[in-house]
Amino acid sequence: MNLTVVKGLQSEIFVPVTPPPVWAPVTKPLNEMVIAIATAAGVHRKEDKRFNLAGDFTWREIYDTTPSSDLMVSHGGYDNSDVNKDINCMFPIDRLHELAKAGFIKGVAPVHVGFMGGGGNIEKFTHETGPAIAKRLKDEGVDGVLMTAG
Amino acid sequence: MQRAIESVGIPTIIIAALPPVVKQTGTPRAVAPLVPMGANAGAPHNVEQQTAIVKAALEQLEEITTPGTVVPLPFEYQAKV
Repeated sequence: MNLTVVKGLQSEIFVPVTPPPVWAPVTKPLNEMVIAIATAAGVHRKEDKRFNLAGDFTWREIYDTTPSSDLMVSHGGYDNSDVNKDINCMFPIDRLHELAKAGFIKGVAPVHVGFMGGGGNIEKFTHETGPAIAKRLKDEGVDGVLMTAG
Repeated sequence: MQRAIESVGIPTIIIAALPPVVKQTGTPRAVAPLVPMGANAGAPHNVEQQTAIVKAALEQLEEITTPGTVVPLPFEYQAKV
């Protein structure tokens, strides 16, 4: 059988490309780490501005002192019924406090992050929101970040 | 977002309900319990399951040594819709 070889042939179908790896090494054991939560689930304080359900690249600081009963979700991209019953489904802040109290981790960060994933202005997310959130977490000196998304 | 945080030197672990998606978008480290989107950290008010998922996720933050690793977790929650 003769194969037809065409140089530079490209698929007409869009094929997503997995970006090159990024990696920050873990440098200390869990019981010496201060952990923050960053969630794409649209979590914010009840007094905060809601996310625009059609797509929103803004983000919200969530102070660790905020009781979990004062948090809520606005997100147009998934079924909110579980998280409306219990915010810990997507923002397991009460579990994290318990683990800190038990000595499993050293502590819980003073500020956590909520944003609305699942689409929106990806350019803004990549070049503005992402770096801004990363800087906020870096400035508060967290050792690791627990995320919920996807 | 996970990649942005990781790129400033903070290690991250993501609890994902959709493991192929986080794999495709280049996650450094992920865990995947058997949960629906919207209850990634476990069933509502199921403290035992949520604790187990959060603990296992944090353990994998330490354990995973290869970027792009997605570790399945043996916890299951099926939402009643």
